[in-house]
Amino acid sequence: MSMPFEPDGVTWSHVSPRLASARLTTLAIVVVPLLAVLVAVAVLATPWAWIPVGVVLALAVWIAITVRRQVRALGYAERDDDLLVRRGIVFRSLVVVPYGRMQYVDVTAGPLARRFGIASVQLHTAAPSTSASIEGLPPAEAARLRDRLASRGEARLAGL
Amino acid sequence: MSIFSGRSARGGLEGTVTGGAGGPVRDGGAGPAPDGATWRRMHPVTPALRGWKFFVAVLAIGWFQVAQDLEQTLGLFRGHRWVVVVGTLAVVAVIAFAYSAVAWRMTRFAVTDDAVHLQSGILFRQQRRARLDRLQAVDLVQPLLARLVGLAELRLEVAGGAGSAVSLAFLREPEAEALRTELLALAAGLQRPAAPGVPPGTPGTAPSALPGGPAAEVVGGPGSPSGVLPAAASPAGTRADVVIGSQDAAAPVADGSAVPVTPPHGPVPLATVPVAPGPLVAGAPGPVLTPGPAAGPSAFQAAPEQQVYDLPMGRLLVASIRSGAAVGVVVALIAAVVLVVLSRDPGGAFVLVPGLIGAVSVVWGRVNQGAGFRAAISPDGIRLRHGLTEARTQTVPPGRVQAIGLQQGPFWRGRDWWRVEINVAGYGAGTDQGARESVLHPVATRDEAAAALWLVLPDLGTADPRGVIDAALSGRDDEGGFTPAPRRSRWVDPIGFRRHGFLVTDRALVLRSGRVFRRVDVVPHERTQSLGLEQGPLQRRLGLATFVVHSTPGPVSPRVAHLDGAVAAALLDEQARRARQARAVQRPEQWMREQG
Repeated sequence: MSMPFEPDGVTWSHVSPRLASARLTTLAIVVVPLLAVLVAVAVLATPWAWIPVGVVLALAVWIAITVRRQVRALGYAERDDDLLVRRGIVFRSLVVVPYGRMQYVDVTAGPLARRFGIASVQLHTAAPSTSASIEGLPPAEAARLRDRLASRGEARLAGL
Repeated sequence: MSIFSGRSARGGLEGTVTGGAGGPVRDGGAGPAPDGATWRRMHPVTPALRGWKFFVAVLAIGWFQVAQDLEQTLGLFRGHRWVVVVGTLAVVAVIAFAYSAVAWRMTRFAVTDDAVHLQSGILFRQQRRARLDRLQAVDLVQPLLARLVGLAELRLEVAGGAGSAVSLAFLREPEAEALRTELLALAAGLQRPAAPGVPPGTPGTAPSALPGGPAAEVVGGPGSPSGVLPAAASPAGTRADVVIGSQDAAAPVADGSAVPVTPPHGPVPLATVPVAPGPLVAGAPGPVLTPGPAAGPSAFQAAPEQQVYDLPMGRLLVASIRSGAAVGVVVALIAAVVLVVLSRDPGGAFVLVPGLIGAVSVVWGRVNQGAGFRAAISPDGIRLRHGLTEARTQTVPPGRVQAIGLQQGPFWRGRDWWRVEINVAGYGAGTDQGARESVLHPVATRDEAAAALWLVLPDLGTADPRGVIDAALSGRDDEGGFTPAPRRSRWVDPIGFRRHGFLVTDRALVLRSGRVFRRVDVVPHERTQSLGLEQGPLQRRLGLATFVVHSTPGPVSPRVAHLDGAVAAALLDEQARRARQARAVQRPEQWMREQG
């Protein structure tokens, strides 16, 4: 292993870019009303309110730029005995979850995710700090991954 | 056993809430007990013990209300108004006790060969079933009031988290202990013997002494009252197959005796060497509880235990004083005095009262929880006894400790004292109760810390366990064979970078960190849940990474910060492999089954 986040012999699968669209939509839903209120306050009440408007706008633009890169950086890989999940650009993390330690698998899709045709698969072990969740998978891929994880988990059942 | 979104699949705890007020209740009420076991009730005095807390709470609320205005309060007691006050209090007391009595009546439990069933709840009935092969720990808790009347609460921890314990409160002390023995034996995989039935009138079993009615048998087919251990004839199949302290074994001692056992520090496989007839044959004199007259015919005999260490009260008191909380108390007092002197107004000092109360309660909590701390080893696992006002006896079976952590603050450096904590699935993290339960030794000297580690990991997996422990507790750089953090990590952690390091032994991973607040974490390979690598922007510039071992909720969070990136990545890979190999050869969850 040369680099910490590039293990040898691992091919990373990537998630659908529609996750970026979903996240941007969420951002817009949050930011646009906030901006509207702030702009109204700035126009009607005091010019000093343009400062928070500027701050919120800058933050929103920065998040919008990084969302696409973050989604590209989200990857997972199924090895023989464990699952690897990699995330993050500035603060990177890599989680290795053995199949035999998985307690249960959650597949969730909220209304916005369903609109964009993506779902999220989350693995749970006995440790709550195992944050192995893969968002932005197409539903068919999510179902396939869930079934594969379930069958591999049963095959390597290792108790607590 | 599928692992879809069904949380109950492997946690061992299944609960169903059936029915609401007035609705049809499935399986509740007078349903028959599973597998022919009989339903049992808690002791009838339980409502009194439960109800008084509610009564005191109402009293306290009322007191805080009236304390706002003393004039008004005194006016209450003039004339006949105090009758009203006393009458109200009496009504509140009656309501509290009546509620508790109804709750007691609706609560019942049954013990079968593979699970404990508990039904409870007045309006919202709840059935809880805890599988015995998922048992993580069994605790016997005696709050002060219960101890005075000779009752105890039995808590079964399965791996469901903080609130998932099956709590049987309150049972008579001998009955609770016999039940604990039985549950541990069943969880260990011992079979309930099918001995010919014994008539209930045998001396020593008085069915009328049992609470709650006619059913005196624990299960169909009562064993003999003298408690013959199954397969006691063949030494190979009994609990005595466990070697404890091999050559240094002293005779088993009764609880409370102060004969220490010197744990060997060499590799001693715990379950493979059959013991010679001597100290640990089942049935030897010792703290063996023949199920007493009120416990009903139980088929199992309590396992003998050997005390490993105990905590003298003097050391506990000195350690509690030499702690951050006590220093906070002193600082607060000095600040209060200075404030009063400077402002010439005594009222100013009351600002510090809440902080003072908080610090004093922390110190008191430490003393209360650690008083009389004793640890013993038995075939049932680790047995811990502690508590001043609330006496607690914990039994943690073999293989249930997920991680061990030793820590030392700066105030204890002079005396070389360590606090040893463990992660057990089921003892919640962060809750007050969870913190109380997860302590393996509140104030340990270095030898006792090594003994505590031996309790959990008798075989550390190296040729020189004591050397490794010393290097872990106080070593730096690469002493003891540790792989240290590289020199460039001093840019991110100038104080502690020489202490960060890890060591892989045959059985466990030892992580070391911290210079002012020293920390050592030990994770057995087979207890690794998942692993992680983290890297921030500064670490990436320096080529470093943080290695994390995910473990069950508890006080121990094993991690090593600022390791070399390539080394951390290699460790991740190897650890995943080692954990898999260790899982394949670990002892089964029913720890007696492999020898049966």
